[in-house]
Amino acid sequence: MPMLEQPFVRRHGRNLYEPKPARVVSVRKLTDLENHYSLKFEDGQPLDHHPGQFVQVSILGIGECPISVCSSPTRPDTFELCVRRAGGVTEHIHRLKPRDVVGIRGPLGHGFDVDDLHGHDILIVAGGLGLAPVRSLIQYILDERSRFGSFHLLYGARAPEEMLFQNDLTLWRESKEVNFHATVDRPNEQWRGRTGVVTTLFSEIPSLDPASTMVVIVGPPVMFKFVVLEVLARRIPQKNIFCSLERRMKCGIGKCGHCQANNVYVCLEGPVFRYGELKALREAIQ
Amino acid sequence: MLDRTISKSSLLELVDDAGRSRRLIGPVKRKDHFFYEQVSRASQLDLNFSYCVYGPKAFLFPPHETLFAFKSADGSFETESILNDEPTVLVGVHPCDLNAIRLLDHAFTETFCDKHYLARRASTFIIGVDCPRPCAEGVFCRDMKGNEAAGGFDIMCYPLAGPRGGDDLRYGVVFGTPTGREFILYSQAGERPTVEDERAFERYQMEKREAFPKMIPYDVDALPELLDRSYDSLLWEATARRCYSCGSCNLSCPTCYCFNISDDVDLSLKSGERSRDWDGCQLRAFAEVAGGHNFRPKAASRLRHRIYRKAKWIKEREGIAGCVGCARCDRACTAHINSVEIYNQLAEEK
Repeated sequence: MPMLEQPFVRRHGRNLYEPKPARVVSVRKLTDLENHYSLKFEDGQPLDHHPGQFVQVSILGIGECPISVCSSPTRPDTFELCVRRAGGVTEHIHRLKPRDVVGIRGPLGHGFDVDDLHGHDILIVAGGLGLAPVRSLIQYILDERSRFGSFHLLYGARAPEEMLFQNDLTLWRESKEVNFHATVDRPNEQWRGRTGVVTTLFSEIPSLDPASTMVVIVGPPVMFKFVVLEVLARRIPQKNIFCSLERRMKCGIGKCGHCQANNVYVCLEGPVFRYGELKALREAIQ
Repeated sequence: MLDRTISKSSLLELVDDAGRSRRLIGPVKRKDHFFYEQVSRASQLDLNFSYCVYGPKAFLFPPHETLFAFKSADGSFETESILNDEPTVLVGVHPCDLNAIRLLDHAFTETFCDKHYLARRASTFIIGVDCPRPCAEGVFCRDMKGNEAAGGFDIMCYPLAGPRGGDDLRYGVVFGTPTGREFILYSQAGERPTVEDERAFERYQMEKREAFPKMIPYDVDALPELLDRSYDSLLWEATARRCYSCGSCNLSCPTCYCFNISDDVDLSLKSGERSRDWDGCQLRAFAEVAGGHNFRPKAASRLRHRIYRKAKWIKEREGIAGCVGCARCDRACTAHINSVEIYNQLAEEK
């Protein structure tokens, strides 16, 4: 009897489901719900990601959840995650202290094609937790400032106490490198800034050149439509509008089916998409 | 063209030989139904079976499968990959299930290669058996081109003398892989096909084409186009009124490969396993994210998702249709939702 070994190409490589250990370098509380983690792989390797990519964070014994990387690859010593306490795994992530170890798979997904953004004026519009994934791009632009034209950043949050990365906000507000404006829906007594939805901030940006402006929109689905309308009204071509989608993700490598929005796997082709691509996806923005 | 012919008794002897050092799996009759089961001898198999209640998917992509083991160590953790490559012979797979395996091969090993699937698949030898006529009422394998073996087998056996049963039956054999070729040639149990054999094979294929009814006024290549126009049809909502979102269709489908990933820990809390389990897109929480937002909250959107995935999206992505027309979903449906009926109603809306 001959060997019945299959003539399959034996593709060697890692077991793609196995996480690598990474140590928590620091933990910072951002809001009642969100913490900010700085991590480093135990083997000393950088994450080597693109802005907009995500990782699967493992608490072994509890599970795994997808989290956007909120720091730029131009700062490769550590990588950072902003984690909202929203379920079993994130609840456990919130118990982590410096020196604790988590499992990381990634970087995963398709992030921002920074080469396409180089040489352009940039407008970033972020809503709520959407600031976390675009923070990787904001840092990238600030670190590689000479490769970009004018840079506008608009951020809307529900309330001042829900605003993320307060230190960054102060920095950006004072910086000459970025035209930054923020607004809240529900101000408190200390709030001195704008009130209203994020689209009200469009009055703060000068006219945009449709030929040279790239727009990035990341936020809750409800915000998306209104911002896109505002941007289209400024005659920005649809192919120059980018956004990032949230979905349930388990495998992160286009197998398990959970993140599928119509015919795309958000974990593979996304989470960053061009608006032109998304328009055809009926389930993408609801 | 046939590569060899072989008598049924010789084939079963070969299978027995192969099964001595390998797990042997094939159709076994249990009361009125057939199931793929592990057997110790080829004589326990019934190769004239009508259809197996479930496809052989579970032997390549089991309902529960460990991905890796982990243990905590010195404040960090260690993982150990767990792959199963137990040598297996899978006998008696009809064209529909072979096509389903072709799809799984593609979906699991392209772009990113899933080593767990590959380990099982690469150690499984597959013997296909053709079906001369529909195995049951309601199958629509002809429409889906699921009744023609297009790959996924090492050898394919065509019952040339007709399924009279008994040991006089001869199979026309087509090699699918070099391994399959070796399997037959090594033993010298096969014979070179004669002109009469080739003629019998042509006759067999002609009779087979006539035996399978056309159930849908479209074939599988035109379904993506039909569905392109059907996204907003009221039919989804109307059909979904009966749907219990129980996932029986997913469970019984030979091509469904969605899964969930979860952890189990030992009582010591020091070690455990991460594993995957079959999941179903019809279950309510399938597309729900932390915080409670559900991207397909309604049964209608989930039902539409399944049909689109089967007949359009998987074909567009993988180049192989996600449905083979076996109608197991229709048989398993607790609410008598019928995919042939859905396709026909969509076709009428044109």
